[in-house]
Amino acid sequence: MSSETQTSALREYWQRGRGQANLMIGLAVTLTLVAVALVSLVWTPYTVSAIDIPGKLQPPSADHWLGTDQFGRDVLSRIMAGAVNSIAVSLVAVGIGAGIGVPLGALAAARRGLVEEVVMRFNDFTFAFPALLSAVMITALFGPGAINAIIAIGIFNIPVFARLTRAAALSLWKRDFVLAARVAGRGRTRITIDHILPNIASLLIVQMTIQFALAILAEAGLSYLGLGTQPPNPSWGKMLNEAQTLMFIAPQLAVFPGLAIMVTVLGLNLLGDGLRDLLDPRLRRLR
Amino acid sequence: MTLLSLQDLRVTIATPEGPATLLDGVSFDLAAGEQLGIVGESGCGKSMTALAVMGLLPAAARAEGHVIFEGKNLLALDEDALCQIRGRRIAMVFQEPMTALNPVKTIGDQVAEGLRWHMGLGRGEAETRAVKLLDRVGLPQPRFAPGLYPHQLSGGQRQRVVIAIALACDPAVLIADEPTTALDVTSQAEILDLLADVTAEARMALMLITHDLAVVWQNTASMLVMYAGCVVERGTTAAVFERMAHPYTRGLLAASPHALDRALPAGRRLATIPGRVPDPQHRPQGCVFAGRCSRAAPDCLPGPPAERALEDGHRVACLHPHGAELPA
Amino acid sequence: MALFLVQRLTALVITLLVASLLVFLVMEVLPGDPAAIILGVNARADTLAALRAEMGLDRPAAERYLVWLGGLVTGDLGRSYTYGVPVWELVGERIGLTLPLALMAIVLSTALAIPLGVLAAARRNKPADVGVMGFTQLGIAIPNFWFAMLLILLFAVHWQVLPAGGFAGWDAGFWPALKTLILPAVALALPQAAILARVTRSSVLETLGEDFVRTARAKGLSRRAALWRHAVRNALIPVVTIMGLQFSFLLAGTIIIENVFYLPGLGRLIFQAIAQRDLIVVKDLVILLAASVVVVNFVVDLLYAVLDPRLRGGQHVV
Repeated sequence: MSSETQTSALREYWQRGRGQANLMIGLAVTLTLVAVALVSLVWTPYTVSAIDIPGKLQPPSADHWLGTDQFGRDVLSRIMAGAVNSIAVSLVAVGIGAGIGVPLGALAAARRGLVEEVVMRFNDFTFAFPALLSAVMITALFGPGAINAIIAIGIFNIPVFARLTRAAALSLWKRDFVLAARVAGRGRTRITIDHILPNIASLLIVQMTIQFALAILAEAGLSYLGLGTQPPNPSWGKMLNEAQTLMFIAPQLAVFPGLAIMVTVLGLNLLGDGLRDLLDPRLRRLR
Repeated sequence: MTLLSLQDLRVTIATPEGPATLLDGVSFDLAAGEQLGIVGESGCGKSMTALAVMGLLPAAARAEGHVIFEGKNLLALDEDALCQIRGRRIAMVFQEPMTALNPVKTIGDQVAEGLRWHMGLGRGEAETRAVKLLDRVGLPQPRFAPGLYPHQLSGGQRQRVVIAIALACDPAVLIADEPTTALDVTSQAEILDLLADVTAEARMALMLITHDLAVVWQNTASMLVMYAGCVVERGTTAAVFERMAHPYTRGLLAASPHALDRALPAGRRLATIPGRVPDPQHRPQGCVFAGRCSRAAPDCLPGPPAERALEDGHRVACLHPHGAELPA
Repeated sequence: MALFLVQRLTALVITLLVASLLVFLVMEVLPGDPAAIILGVNARADTLAALRAEMGLDRPAAERYLVWLGGLVTGDLGRSYTYGVPVWELVGERIGLTLPLALMAIVLSTALAIPLGVLAAARRNKPADVGVMGFTQLGIAIPNFWFAMLLILLFAVHWQVLPAGGFAGWDAGFWPALKTLILPAVALALPQAAILARVTRSSVLETLGEDFVRTARAKGLSRRAALWRHAVRNALIPVVTIMGLQFSFLLAGTIIIENVFYLPGLGRLIFQAIAQRDLIVVKDLVILLAASVVVVNFVVDLLYAVLDPRLRGGQHVV
């Protein structure tokens, strides 16, 4: 594909996508989140971990838009910095899941036989363990912390991507253009790279968006249980955990970090739905 | 006596690229006990015509014109009134017996359902009637117990169940939309005979929709040929087959794999009609068939050809029909 | 059908065996000696050795695995290191909370989700559909522990009609005990309901496009009658699968929700056991939870046969 046709394809997507509320809202929320995270790396209203005991538990005001926590730390600053944490953990976790799951699924589809059997049995098997339970086990046993949380969430993304990739790849292997490539003597690996993966890329992008949202929820859950990101690093889950004990004194502390999680996950899910509508040719025809 | 009368029926459907015309001014009458064949390629609008009569067009479709049945315009009736007519006065048999039956309900329940719904029969009485209906369509007891599920029957047997469902309330009109297309050859003949029998017995009007000229030839007294949402030729089946006035009708016959020995000139091979059906979003101004017609002339293009009468009520919408000795 | 059952049962047993092996191996490679944890850092070497011998920790791993497995099969789950009581007793005590909680959540989410999903499908693209879909988007996006906290803020702090946490115990009477489970059950049910409603909607929409629904309409059935009599039951088949899968999410959810509400259930027990390195309890509970997930999904397979006569077989008429 020449770069010119690529640009015009992108322009066509943009033309079509502009009218979709889902996609546009999702995109706006996600871009805002990323922007907030990037800004927080260089600037936050207050120093993220600056303790100010006399100024603790303030309600929202002009000075502290979202108030202060039990140590007098600025809640807005901590939520901004928490975005970096959420994004980083989820990005790496989904990266692990897709990085291992997609090759596994593609391999299962290309090789069939025993390889496929092993990969799929392993997949079935992971469904017997609730992902969060296993994540709790991994982080609790190997020690709490962001790295172990990433690994725990990442591991349970592997079967999701492996399953999806295999299913999509299997149907492609039966298509004429792949058969033609096989008849032409191309190797399975070559075909997978040249024909299979480009054709399932849009499917994977949609799934990644959705898994990204799930990873943010999972990270928040683990941090809430004290198993994820450790203080003093700010994380939305941990902030909620701390707010819970203060719920009768400072209920506002329990509101903002949760809102941040909800809006982020909502935005990502809308983006995922919108991308699916935009990229899935089957749905496109139906609309 | 005219039972059902379609007058200038137009159906358009909304698409992302704008409205598409599916039926463009379809008119015909159906008398009680009449057996009318509607023939044309897939996509010519014959199924849409049936669905429009049933009031079961897709949600995005809009119908204009008149569908007069027993003095009422069905297109103007509300949903409740239509429910009173559907299944009770006008019933329909569908193309795909494999999917037309609910897989989780017994055949007895599915046949009895219409009886209970329209006639208010109790469970026992409805089942007794359902068993009789099954027997009537060639599914005798005890081999075809009402407690069977569709997956336990063959395609032909399922189509008999679908016919039993349609016959349940003794309708005045039976619409059969490609009732034999999905069946094997032996079942096809049996199902067509059954349809002919049951409709003749009750003086039921039959609207037989098919792409197969042989089916029309063998089973109907009068026929319509449809192309791209328009009726292009109509008349008694005998007259239409005799004359084959519209170039499309001839093309259809030449392309028919069920070659009619009688009508096909010796030595003719199966042919295809060149070109494609016009895009429903961009219909030509003139004759819809002109783009594919070997007899097309410049005068075919400005506007749609009006129907002209040949002998014996045989009519054709063509400026240059076959048979040169046309009355001017 | 019989063959299908045998196949599924065999798969079930194999899955559980592999799961038990995996859990055992994970526990093996973990740092930390249970005997040392029980006795503390200042324990004398000979007491430690004695305890290790008593607990069987000096035996080869393969032998200990088989002993543990044998115990699981015969119902002897061993003894908790920290509580000093048989694990069965702990489980029996706590399951009285977690099981009713999980059931309440399932009933609640199903009762909410299926009507909403059917409604949304029936009113596709109308305001009711858009509203339901918006609600489900929110339900999926809200972390359940935060939703739980909001419930506490509203019902316990603001209106003070329901307790903020803790479990009254069934000895306190049915209603007081139930009252303490209402908010946790709602918190557990919401995300499940949101997902289930979406699945129901798309399943019903798909079924509404089936030919047999058109047959029903051609019989004269109203839109509503065709929907409820013909579409819904067929549409529920995939919905039941999702409900089976959700059971495992629900169990995981209890770990967090029981923590939010300070409920002494299985979820909290497993969380505490992990924190206290009460490895025998962790091992047993993980296997029990995995077993219940596998068994529930097996039951779902059986439910299929009830919903779908095609799976029941039955002779083809010849």
